[in-house]
Amino acid sequence: MSPLGYGLLFVAVAPLLGGLLAGVDRIVSARMQGRVGPPLLQPFYDVGKLFEKDVRQVNPVVEPLLLGHLAFMAASGALVLGGTDLIFTAFVFALAALFLVLAAGSVNSPYSFAGAERELVVLLASEPFFILMLAAVCKVTGESTFGAVLASPVLVALQLPGVLLAFLFVATIKLRKSPFDISTSHHPHQELVNGLTSDMSGRLLGYVELAHWYESALLCAFVLLFFNWSVPLGLLAFAIAYGLEILVDNSTSRAKWQLVLRSSWAVTFLFTGGNVLALFLVGR
Amino acid sequence: MSALVVFLVAFPLAVSGVLLAVTKGTLRNAIVVVACVVVAAASLVTVVAFGNGEAIFFGLPGGLTPGHAILVVEVAIAMFVVVVSLQNGRVVAPVMALAQLGIALYLDLGGHLQEPDPQRLFWFDRLTMVMVLVIGVVGPLICIHALGYMRDYQRSNPQIGGRRTSFFFLLFLFLASMFGLVVSNDLQLLLVFWEITTLCSFLLIGYTRTKETVSYAFDALNMNLLGGLGFSVAILLLAGRPDGLDLARLTAGPAAATLLPAIALLSLAGITKSAQMPFSSWLLGAMYAPSPTSALLHSSTMVKAGVFLLLRLSPAMAGSAVGTMVAFVGLLTFLFASLVAVTEQNTKKVLAYSTIGSLGLIVGCAGIGTPELVWVGVMIVIFHAVAKALLFLVVGTLENRLYTKDMENFDTLLSRMPRVSALALTGIAGMFIAPFGIVVAKWTAIRAFLEVPGFAGAAFLVIMAFGSSLTIFYWGKLLIKILSMRGIEPYERSVEDRVTRYEWFSEAALAVGVIGVAAGLGLISDHVVGPYALEAFSAAPRVFLHLDPAVVVVMLVAVLFLPALAIWTSRGSGYDLADFYTSGRTANAGHLMGAALGGTRTVTLRNYYLEGVVNGVLVFRAGTLVCGVILAATILVALAASR
Amino acid sequence: MSLFARSPWILHYDGSSCNGCDIEVLACLTPLYDVERFGVVNTGNPKHADILLVTGGVNERNVEVIATLYRQMPDPKVVVAVGACACSGGIFARAYNIAGGIDTVVPVDVYVPGCAARPESIIDGVVSGIAALEHKRRRTA
Repeated sequence: MSPLGYGLLFVAVAPLLGGLLAGVDRIVSARMQGRVGPPLLQPFYDVGKLFEKDVRQVNPVVEPLLLGHLAFMAASGALVLGGTDLIFTAFVFALAALFLVLAAGSVNSPYSFAGAERELVVLLASEPFFILMLAAVCKVTGESTFGAVLASPVLVALQLPGVLLAFLFVATIKLRKSPFDISTSHHPHQELVNGLTSDMSGRLLGYVELAHWYESALLCAFVLLFFNWSVPLGLLAFAIAYGLEILVDNSTSRAKWQLVLRSSWAVTFLFTGGNVLALFLVGR
Repeated sequence: MSALVVFLVAFPLAVSGVLLAVTKGTLRNAIVVVACVVVAAASLVTVVAFGNGEAIFFGLPGGLTPGHAILVVEVAIAMFVVVVSLQNGRVVAPVMALAQLGIALYLDLGGHLQEPDPQRLFWFDRLTMVMVLVIGVVGPLICIHALGYMRDYQRSNPQIGGRRTSFFFLLFLFLASMFGLVVSNDLQLLLVFWEITTLCSFLLIGYTRTKETVSYAFDALNMNLLGGLGFSVAILLLAGRPDGLDLARLTAGPAAATLLPAIALLSLAGITKSAQMPFSSWLLGAMYAPSPTSALLHSSTMVKAGVFLLLRLSPAMAGSAVGTMVAFVGLLTFLFASLVAVTEQNTKKVLAYSTIGSLGLIVGCAGIGTPELVWVGVMIVIFHAVAKALLFLVVGTLENRLYTKDMENFDTLLSRMPRVSALALTGIAGMFIAPFGIVVAKWTAIRAFLEVPGFAGAAFLVIMAFGSSLTIFYWGKLLIKILSMRGIEPYERSVEDRVTRYEWFSEAALAVGVIGVAAGLGLISDHVVGPYALEAFSAAPRVFLHLDPAVVVVMLVAVLFLPALAIWTSRGSGYDLADFYTSGRTANAGHLMGAALGGTRTVTLRNYYLEGVVNGVLVFRAGTLVCGVILAATILVALAASR
Repeated sequence: MSLFARSPWILHYDGSSCNGCDIEVLACLTPLYDVERFGVVNTGNPKHADILLVTGGVNERNVEVIATLYRQMPDPKVVVAVGACACSGGIFARAYNIAGGIDTVVPVDVYVPGCAARPESIIDGVVSGIAALEHKRRRTA
């Protein structure tokens, strides 16, 4: 299949996978809490309903910016699967997140604005890791695109164990799981109300949900980069990792943003930086 | 060709002299506008005449040599510095100026200097072409902006009174010396132009003659004179050699170990001029000068002279310990400056730190010295010059209209001043958003660092990762502030109408430039910067990293379309700007919300400045210390290696 | 069943309630009743909500708040008044500071009596609210 084909495949299929993942997330969380939980397809019902609702537009810049967020988040994944340089996609990924920040920050609500600032902190905490991770993967395999990494004989996860551990840490931040869900979360009644999404209603909230599904799919693709010798193993690893995330989410309360930033930088610097240093010193 | 180059230097010089005599405002404006058009046209003609081919060398018309003229100018400069310093009770500057003069006298009168080859006084290659375009297009735009800006600035700073003649005199003198700097091949000639730019910077920073700005001006003078002194000592070390002062021959390939101390000292000059740590504080002090100064000298042009020299030196430093250490100074400056920028509330200071950081990236690339990284460096020069000039001019306009530089006061700018917001958004996007050039440059830099071996490669990667993320943070904050909206009164809307047409023209032209160079990135790379990088390193042809042009266009359209759509729809209805959630309390569009016990409260939204996580002052001092140590070590290592 | 029936999101607001009805409302979210089985999510935000679940009566302080919350909810929306105080003011109906039930401020679609209202009644009320929501959606669609 051509690169464009893979890209379009991602755009079409990723929301389905992301939505199912979100459904599984809710059921597993409910079971952990001793409840039954919603039906598996509940996230789809939710988003569908949101698109049917009215929107209370606060200002006109929010909708175009959220469309940008959704478009670039889908594009990040499409570019990765479509064979664009991996490091460049890190920048596109950051741009997608930035659009969300701008959409939320443009509303004068204290909750929305604080959510936007906190999301910038999330970006600051996670972006160094993603750049280093993708650079490390490119360095260790000598390749620069998704397909080439998957085809490479180098066993990435075994060469980059530090990076993989750091990935688990940073993924908690990106997936908006407690204790790092500082900017917004799916659990209501937090100190920022809904944070980023406080003033988004109807289809605007639907865009954010869809973008989150694309993001989950993209993170799954990143896990596949590590387990590049076996896609089924990679998917299993992602499932296990996600299960751990749900467990951590349900067992911890929200951390302060200062702690999130410091710990994330420390983990990135020590584990990822250390692994990268080892690569360069031993290396090719 | 030589006639054109002489014109480029002599014409602004002549105009500056004329402007010194003219006091009538309308006549001055007319002369400045005409002169700017002529300078821009002359730059374009020169570039076309060069024809984007191989490098050429030439001398003055008629085969003249500068001879003792250089010495005369140096004496004049030194005397000026001594007099002005003593008038203000400063000692360090005159000592350094006299030391420099001493070296020059010793070399010239003591007969230690060889005659420069009259046909190799000037060097014009693609890098010169890029610099000429930057100086010749961005420079005049800034001067035109200054026409409108200074009129309002004088109203808020009445003490500068009739000194506006000297302001424009200095701007044109500066343009002349920058042109001279970038075309010079003879190091002595280059040094003269270098020191004139130092003087212009000094006089422009201290323009308002307040105690504070005079102090900052002398800081700048001291640091730049230190660099100039390093330059002089390098000339002293090189003077004995055949072709010693021929820059092109000096940097044709990796330098012999005996030349490394001179290279290190020339790098010192470049580092002070481009405000790298440990010499960054002078650029921060320069932010107290009027905005055209900040734009012209301290972001687009003068500091580019420093990185220009380093880019020239890159083939000579490549692969040596000196080069690697210079790269560390640059990249660590990038990291530390970006960290401090996050804690800053003063928008001009944020722009200054961003400049220092971007220049640090270029210095890092120049120090490592591969064709890819020099490509990155030149690309950043182009993109940064245009985008940062635009941003400084816009902030100047905002400062004149809103009487504030605090970014907390720039909120709801989209409602209050939509057109200026559009310009600001373009400039900010040009600094860090894909697919604008600086992102492509950073991406290429990361890929290139993957090839740098050992500890250095890993360190550079980590620095890039953290540094880039920090830039997203502080630009993101500024963007959030500008993009917010509220209901505004009719009188507020008229604030934007008082922006002068000079400001609109120059800012709009630069905004078009930002978009243009982003769209034309492929062309610029293939036809100008790529060939230059290969020529400088005598490297085999290769394809530089590039994006599919289709991807570039799509992304550019998307990134520009969405804010444009937002601004266009902001005129519509169906929006309730007061309808944001405040726990069920009502709010009005002017940021007042109902509070407990029937009162009202103002909604104040303040950015995060990472207090408690990053201490800006400490980080700056740490950076100064670390880079200072590395720089000192560089010179020592070079001396040791040359034995 | 339409999407609204499958994904009714609730905004729970306590007017002047003694918190008895509120505790019963929150009990619906616990494993014993688990209304998330029906897709019910307790959002804290009017802009995300379809159903405004109000307990307690209306007094000077919360007149504005209830009106604002209702206004900030996008259409289609329903209001469910839970408990005697929300329906009519309950035993505080004649107190000098209580204006009455929620219907003095916003149009109420479902009244759930009780003091405190039982979780089963509340769930029943929410289901009736969903039916009302459906009706409104079809009418405006």
